[in-house]
Amino acid sequence: MGDMVVEPAPLKPTSEPAPSPPGNNGGSLLSVITEGAGELPVIDPEVAQKACQEVLEKVKLLHGGVTISSRSTQLELVNGDNVDSEIRCLDDPPAQIREEEDEMGATVASGTAKGARRRRQNNSAKQSWLLRLFESKLFDISMAISYLYNSKEPGVQAYIGNRLFCFRNEDVDFYLPQLLNMYIHMDEDVGDAIKPYIVHRCRQSINFSLQCALLLGAYSSDMHISTQRHSRGTKLRKLILSDELKPAHRKRELPSLSPASDTGLSPSKRTHQRSKSDATASISLSSNLKRTASNPKVENEDEELSSSTESIDNSFSSPVRLAPEREFIKSLMAIGKRLATLPTKEQKTQRLISELSLLNHKLPARVWLPTAGFDHHVVRVPHTQAVVLNSKDKAPYLIYVEVLECENFDTTSVPARIPENRIRSTRSVENLPECGITHEQRAGSFSTVPNYDNDDEAWSVDDIGELQVELPEVHTNSCDNISQFSVDSITSQESKEPVFIAAGDIRRRLSEQLAHTPTAFRRDPEDPSAVALKEPWQEKVRRIREASPYGHLPNWRLLSVIVKCGDDLRQELLAFQVLKQLQSIWEQERVPLWIKPYKILVISADSGMIEPVVNAVSIHQVKKQSQLSLLDYFLQEHGSYTTEAFLSAQRNFVQSCAGYCLVCYLLQVKDRHNGNILLDAEGHIIHIDFGFILSSSPRNLGFETSAFKLTTEFVDVMGGLDGDMFNYYKMLMLQGLIAARKHMDKVVQIVEIMQQGSQLPCFHGSSTIRNLKERFHMSMTEEQLQLLVEQMVDGSMRSITTKLYDGFQYLTNGIM
Amino acid sequence: MAQIEKRGGLLRKSSASKKPLKEKVVLMYDEIFMTEDPSKCSPRFWEELFLMKVNLEYLEGKLESLDSEELMKIKDNVNCLFQHCIQALGEEHPIRVVNALQTLCALIRGVHQKNKSTSGFDIINMLMGFDKAELCMKNLMESLDSLLCAEGSESLKSLCLKLLLCLVTVTDNISQNTILEYVMINSIFEAILQILSHPPSRREHGYDAVVLLALLVNYSKYESVNPYIVKLSIVDDEATLNGMGLVIAQALSEYNRQYKDKEEEHQSGFFSALTNMVGSMFIADAHEKISVQTNEAILLALYEAVHLNRNFITVLAQSHPEMGLVTTPVSPSPTTPVTPLGTTPPSSDDEHRLHSGKLCLIILTCIAEDQYANAFLHDDNMNFRVNLHRMPMRHRKKAADKNLPCRPLVCAVLDLMVEFIVTHMMKEFPMDLYIRCIQVVHKLLCYQKKCRVRLHYTWRELWSALINLLKFLMSNETILLAKHNIFTLTLMIVNLFNMFITYGDTFLPTPSSYDELYYEIIRMHQSFDNLYSMVLRLSTNAGQWKEAASKVTHALVNIRAIINHFNPKIESYAAVNHISQLSEEQVLEVVRANYDTLTLKLQDGLDQYERYSEQHKEAAFFKELVRSISTNVRRNLAFHTLSQEVLLKEFSTIS
Repeated sequence: MGDMVVEPAPLKPTSEPAPSPPGNNGGSLLSVITEGAGELPVIDPEVAQKACQEVLEKVKLLHGGVTISSRSTQLELVNGDNVDSEIRCLDDPPAQIREEEDEMGATVASGTAKGARRRRQNNSAKQSWLLRLFESKLFDISMAISYLYNSKEPGVQAYIGNRLFCFRNEDVDFYLPQLLNMYIHMDEDVGDAIKPYIVHRCRQSINFSLQCALLLGAYSSDMHISTQRHSRGTKLRKLILSDELKPAHRKRELPSLSPASDTGLSPSKRTHQRSKSDATASISLSSNLKRTASNPKVENEDEELSSSTESIDNSFSSPVRLAPEREFIKSLMAIGKRLATLPTKEQKTQRLISELSLLNHKLPARVWLPTAGFDHHVVRVPHTQAVVLNSKDKAPYLIYVEVLECENFDTTSVPARIPENRIRSTRSVENLPECGITHEQRAGSFSTVPNYDNDDEAWSVDDIGELQVELPEVHTNSCDNISQFSVDSITSQESKEPVFIAAGDIRRRLSEQLAHTPTAFRRDPEDPSAVALKEPWQEKVRRIREASPYGHLPNWRLLSVIVKCGDDLRQELLAFQVLKQLQSIWEQERVPLWIKPYKILVISADSGMIEPVVNAVSIHQVKKQSQLSLLDYFLQEHGSYTTEAFLSAQRNFVQSCAGYCLVCYLLQVKDRHNGNILLDAEGHIIHIDFGFILSSSPRNLGFETSAFKLTTEFVDVMGGLDGDMFNYYKMLMLQGLIAARKHMDKVVQIVEIMQQGSQLPCFHGSSTIRNLKERFHMSMTEEQLQLLVEQMVDGSMRSITTKLYDGFQYLTNGIM
Repeated sequence: MAQIEKRGGLLRKSSASKKPLKEKVVLMYDEIFMTEDPSKCSPRFWEELFLMKVNLEYLEGKLESLDSEELMKIKDNVNCLFQHCIQALGEEHPIRVVNALQTLCALIRGVHQKNKSTSGFDIINMLMGFDKAELCMKNLMESLDSLLCAEGSESLKSLCLKLLLCLVTVTDNISQNTILEYVMINSIFEAILQILSHPPSRREHGYDAVVLLALLVNYSKYESVNPYIVKLSIVDDEATLNGMGLVIAQALSEYNRQYKDKEEEHQSGFFSALTNMVGSMFIADAHEKISVQTNEAILLALYEAVHLNRNFITVLAQSHPEMGLVTTPVSPSPTTPVTPLGTTPPSSDDEHRLHSGKLCLIILTCIAEDQYANAFLHDDNMNFRVNLHRMPMRHRKKAADKNLPCRPLVCAVLDLMVEFIVTHMMKEFPMDLYIRCIQVVHKLLCYQKKCRVRLHYTWRELWSALINLLKFLMSNETILLAKHNIFTLTLMIVNLFNMFITYGDTFLPTPSSYDELYYEIIRMHQSFDNLYSMVLRLSTNAGQWKEAASKVTHALVNIRAIINHFNPKIESYAAVNHISQLSEEQVLEVVRANYDTLTLKLQDGLDQYERYSEQHKEAAFFKELVRSISTNVRRNLAFHTLSQEVLLKEFSTIS
């Protein structure tokens, strides 16, 4: 794996006597840096190392080298895991540096980092302000990404590349799309700076590997096909998919020439290829040997990347770790493609259910849902719960996935399969005494057929000879809590007092029980998802858990995911990132705005998965099903105006409305019809579908010119234009805008980096970023901002275009 | 003899008229039918024999023509032939294998046809000789097993299955076929499963494999331990079970399709008399026999799978995308559309229609008792459009089934039961089928009550069908009582109403459906009144029906309470409001207003039922069924379909 050319460049910045403090304009700062020793066009490791040593000498003289050694200690601690040893086995040059650093650290035994810093401050004003910034506590991942992007100085880039190791994994993960997009579309130096970190993380985590591979594929797709094939992004993707980046220690354990090596890596042989039924268009990647044989081209490219010593090892190594997962994703996508060919929703739903039931045969397997936040194995897809979502020509669908949580995905073995029917025995005996048989009865049955194999599990219940009407005690044991009468059984009409009941009671119970069930939506074959989404999540989890053969396991969890096939989710991912950033900004600034970013998994440029928002249905569905105005629906769901429940739902509505109005304004989210706005059980609204943001809008009809969608219905829920809640709403918007403005860079940066090399419609034109920045109105005073908010609200209220657009949507798509 | 020779010669059409030229193979057969060892004079006799194209007709005919004494004389040669056949199965060249397989078929059939009366042991002796029989059969089964499992020619596998089917069906009563003992000992179960689990082989041979399995399972089912039963019951491999389900489903949907085609042809004809749903048997004469019987065999297979294997139900519940593609209007699940309930008036040759109908109802009974299947049937998320074949009747037109709603499968089952109830009220009353039908409904209701399933179903149709049935029973009391105990059925029907009345709160979809129940009872009170007076009459007489009738009297207590409670109220409402005829809405209003003053009696054991059990009650039925299936499979075993031309083409590497 010694192919990583990691120069000792990280220490370069220290050599630069660049006293300019980091200002708003990163560009000017960089120009200062570059005038120093940065003339080397391509960093030759030897030269760099030499230069580095010189620098180190200097630094040693200046501040006793403590800064550097402190960095290296930091390096060891921040991420919890033993980073530096990992680095050492990764690539040699940094290790060398470390040794040198250690030496220096040893030579300068005196003085703590703090002391050194103080001394440094006293010593010279000329020294690197940039370095000081980099080492300060304020230097966070957002800044690191920003400098990585803006700096033209390889030294800085390389330093930050190494510095990435010091941040917490989760923090860096957030910027993974940015990092990879830079890796793909920016120059060599940035790529070289980023690569070691990516490789390192890929070694650690299979999920990270998958995400990287998918994103690399998706973000390379905008390149011209000829350049794409040889691009660094494609190469790195192949490297990851070739599974050379499996954990290093494991690799050593592998007997390189053992014929049994194909079982060596995974603790269980169970892969996604459990049974080879004719269910999926499956390709077998079950053994690496097969793969290399059938596709020598891949192998060649791999060899370019891998060092010669390891190519042997490679060709005999275990099956590709990612294969089952990729197979799983592929099957899901194939289902989506097949569904799209069917004409009606009904047929789609039926087909989906049957396809999933076949998929089930191959589970559990070493597969997981990348949108989940914890390690787990997928064990079952409750196929009957899946629904096809509303879409005109594509067939996105929502599936629920049963998983078993585990400590560590790599080390935990795949759970054993529990057959579907296994629940029946338990269920029928415990919960449904009438349909099951008691043990005595079962035992009795065997006396009549003593020769049979004593595998009572296997026997059909029916085979138990003459089973008379249930014994009375079985009957009284029945845990039937529905009808109180079933317990009061009389064995014969003559012997016991007859039990009388009032017909009125039966009728009353019937209406009461129906009244108590939460307002469910009617089943509509044209909108199968409405019912499924309306059911409270907890309720659904309970129901599916009960019906699942795995439900009894303590680590059982239910996840859900929307599979999108034929849709580009890269914009969605961008929107997710911006929303997430805004959310954390508002949290940091303590503005009680509520938004719900939902996770996106980009699988390729035209497919992906979305984490569904639970307990939420679209406003369109609400209105269509309830035939009520939004306010009346609130009253129906939460109670009358003065109740606690209504008030808190209203507050939630206002806070989420304000949050999303800002989002819509800042990101210029278009196509805001009621099918794209969800309402959750607590009263929050959630905007979904960010297909038209920034510079793109649907069909350019000139609709939706208002800043955001604010209908009178929304205002009614807030208590009308004169209500306190409406003022609160406007105040929240103002606070939110001020807070967002304060951290504009963090938001803009996300968008800006993704613009690199992108053909996405949201970046159409040249002024996307400038316009985005303008919408933060950096130059305005707070009073002016307040006026702006007033104007926007006013404009949106008065805007008939919103109404027009809803009418347009109703006509074209039947969305209310 | 001469005649047979002529028949053999007839195969060569051109030369037949001139001179009965004998094929070489026929000459060789003749040598075998001598008492001498044919290999004595030509040592390569056996090797050569299997290179010859088999003349099945001649061989079979020759064996048939010999009486048992003559046969005993050439026993050694027959044994020798049998052994060499088995030996040839292991040969490398497929042509020898094919010839050996065909020769075996001819041998087995020939010997049996001749020896209908002789015992199974004699046949074994005749074919193999007692001393070698065990080894012989072991070798045979092993060869067949490896041929079936190998990745060889498909037509070869097909021939193997045909041989096995031939072996299994040579006797009318499968349990008297003693050779099958060896098939029990040397199981080919795994090979059958393998065929079913691999899509390509399943497509080719699935049907034969399933029929073979269904028959094997029925070998001395009640007398001894049948390893195939044991094995079938513990299969849990989903791919295999799925394959089996698929084969059955495809066979049945093909049947449905055929029926539909026919139905369209004979739209106006008498043919579409008393039938319903998918599987009624009105298919033109020539075709009829085959399709009816295939149906039985496949239904038997479905029954055995449902009945014996717990896991099969889960497979039934899982629909298959392939199937969805084949027949969109029919549900992709094999469960219901599969249940041909075509039962016609049991006139002389309609025995197996009754059989099929009964078998279907038994299958539905098993399904209705099964927890998992019920869960599937009632699953609100799994909606299907099931196209029931409703036949046109005098008072109703053939409904245009274009706008079928998509509903849980159980609705289709209930529809089917309603349809059955409505369409089979005839002089030759199929009492047994009616009882099963009502049981299915009852079992479904029990499940719904237990699991609080509120099915959105128009129960009214069921209620009025049940009341009509009661009316029919009463109006034909004298005729029916001569043949049946109608009170069992009556009691069941009344108890269904009692289920609705006393437990309606647990499974009815809306409060108004409970009101409708009362409305329906009140509306049809005349029928219940008549029923009550009838059972009262019979229970007070000291006749044979005393006890049975009195049970019905007791069961009627709530219905009578309802009628007696509401009727005066309705009358007074009419009087007060000066209305002569109350509208439905007005009656419902009265009903709603007067619930509270009505007291009902809780009856015992309404939600309990006797479980289905094959061994004690249905054994005779299944024996008869298997017998008829055997006969038909034997008759339809078409060796000519596997003509040698095809095989020769396939194995054209022959030098």
